[in-house]
Amino acid sequence: MTSETVTGEVVQLAPPTRFAAFWRAFSENRGAVVGLIVVCLIVLSGVFAPLLTSYNPLEQYRDAVKLPPIWAEGGSWSHVLGTDPLGRDMWARLIFGSRLSIFIGLSVMLVSTVIGVALGLIAARVGGLLDTIILRLMDLIMSIPDLVFAIMIIAVIGPNLVNTIVAITFVFLPRYVLLVRSAARVELTKDYVTAAKVSGLRPLRLMLTTVLPNCVAPLMVQAALGVSDAILEAAGLGFLGLGAQPPAPEWGSMLADARDLITSAPWVMAMPGLAILITVLAINLMGDGLRDALDPRLRRS
Amino acid sequence: MLRFLIKRLLLTIPTFVALMFVTFIMLRLVPGDPIEVRRGERGIDPARLEQLRHEMGLDQPVWKQFLDYASGILHGDFGTSIVSKTPITHEFLTLFPATLELSLCAGLLAILLGVPAGAFAAVNRGKFFDQTLMATALTGYSMPIFWWGLVLILFFSNTLHLTPVSGRVDLVKFYYPQHTGLLLIDSLIWGPKGAFLDVVRHLILPTIVLATLPLAVVARMTRSSMLEVLEEDYVRTAKAKGLSPFRIIGLHALRNAFIPVITAIALQIGSLLAGAVQTETIFSWPGVGHWLISSISRRDYPALQGGIMLIAIVVISVNLLLELTLGIINPRLRHDQ
Repeated sequence: MTSETVTGEVVQLAPPTRFAAFWRAFSENRGAVVGLIVVCLIVLSGVFAPLLTSYNPLEQYRDAVKLPPIWAEGGSWSHVLGTDPLGRDMWARLIFGSRLSIFIGLSVMLVSTVIGVALGLIAARVGGLLDTIILRLMDLIMSIPDLVFAIMIIAVIGPNLVNTIVAITFVFLPRYVLLVRSAARVELTKDYVTAAKVSGLRPLRLMLTTVLPNCVAPLMVQAALGVSDAILEAAGLGFLGLGAQPPAPEWGSMLADARDLITSAPWVMAMPGLAILITVLAINLMGDGLRDALDPRLRRS
Repeated sequence: MLRFLIKRLLLTIPTFVALMFVTFIMLRLVPGDPIEVRRGERGIDPARLEQLRHEMGLDQPVWKQFLDYASGILHGDFGTSIVSKTPITHEFLTLFPATLELSLCAGLLAILLGVPAGAFAAVNRGKFFDQTLMATALTGYSMPIFWWGLVLILFFSNTLHLTPVSGRVDLVKFYYPQHTGLLLIDSLIWGPKGAFLDVVRHLILPTIVLATLPLAVVARMTRSSMLEVLEEDYVRTAKAKGLSPFRIIGLHALRNAFIPVITAIALQIGSLLAGAVQTETIFSWPGVGHWLISSISRRDYPALQGGIMLIAIVVISVNLLLELTLGIINPRLRHDQ
């Protein structure tokens, strides 16, 4: 429901000509295009995971424990990327794991965008005491290092997948609120807003249909980077044992299990981390391209 | 200047009060009976429970409990660990030098490497070095550092046997008094022969791991700030005067490019401490982050509460200090907001 409103805004904003212009600027950046392709591949592998492997990511194949990947000595075609110490197929765990990471990243981004837009617009429009209270609250959240704050929240509500999303959404909120607030404050001083006010637009409509669309460009860049940051943060929590719980094939918690296997089965440690790095890097590349294309003021080259 | 200082100090008060409130609420919301949570005992008999409730002030109204907690904090009492039965402040202060040493080394590495690299990339914009550096920086920015630590351990410790896997110093081989808690200083002055080198060897990998993210941020920030400054008129004037490129970049451009970079570094302090939690867990580094994580698994919630409060105080004070310094360097900042 909430997600629809956000994407709806964007589509409405971009008639074909503007989209074409955006695409030309975006595709000029080779890194961004590569990032986009990789992200698409990762999402597709997550969505079609059952078609890409015949193995169940949770099932333990006891006759193939700690099997190395195919290119290493002793590897076998039956498990292309090898198996972990419990005999679970690494490839199956990795692609099913991408579902979890993408789900966490997108959920955090959507929820914090919606709450951030609401709080930011209220702070900018109402001002005064409410603005001060919202600002101080954001200050408070930012005064505790984000991972430490997330750990504190998890300690109270308990470690699992949904709580990971709740905790990360909470600590990432200030970025969205402050961004929307400062962008909206700039827009509110402009003539077109005054004109809209004079023409009798009500405050809610004014903020949503007139001011918000003009804050969308920086917000989209922040949202893209917010997805990758959330994936990284969730993996960090998983690594500390405070994220998704085993046996879920979450990349971060897979790494926590693999710590003692550095020498005996390095591939079990190497692959989930590589998966995180590639995913986050691809999204960041895409985000850079998005920024260059949407916000000419920040353009790098 | 005085007005700016007072205003900035006053602004931290509501944040501080809210912080006390949040940590107070946290301990009340933790699942389990408050006595059991705080004492770590189970199945206490009712008479003793009543006595404990009274001793710990749990029979008081909630607002009174909060005031007691707040006044305790203002007097430097952050509670008592239920595992070690020692005051949290004591535990924190014993462990903090380890985190401080690691964070300082990582921060220093990030600045000493990131600023020149970013500046050099800006001057050679679009060339091979620039593109390589930006690609590397983006990779560093996207790095899951807990995995990065494991990879480094695999290469340098397990394969090449160059560095130790965990800890700060080999205490079996090198035992010596610790005065400052910063082992680099202690081992250099009071340590036996070879102790200093051993401390350095222990520091290398954790420092690299913790520095990765700030290094990427500082390099990117310096580059973009430098690119802006290089377009300024005074740089053109300096060029026209025929100054050597070294003087133009080093003296005129870099100095002005540095202000946003300092702000970026200030914002990295929180992430340094957050990164320390992960780094210390990988390398069994006996610091505050490692202690915080193990206090969760030991269900030592008072330690978690006090530790978070103390970490937040460190972050707030360092940020305040940096902001005041920036206000002195650059008067324009005093009037913002």
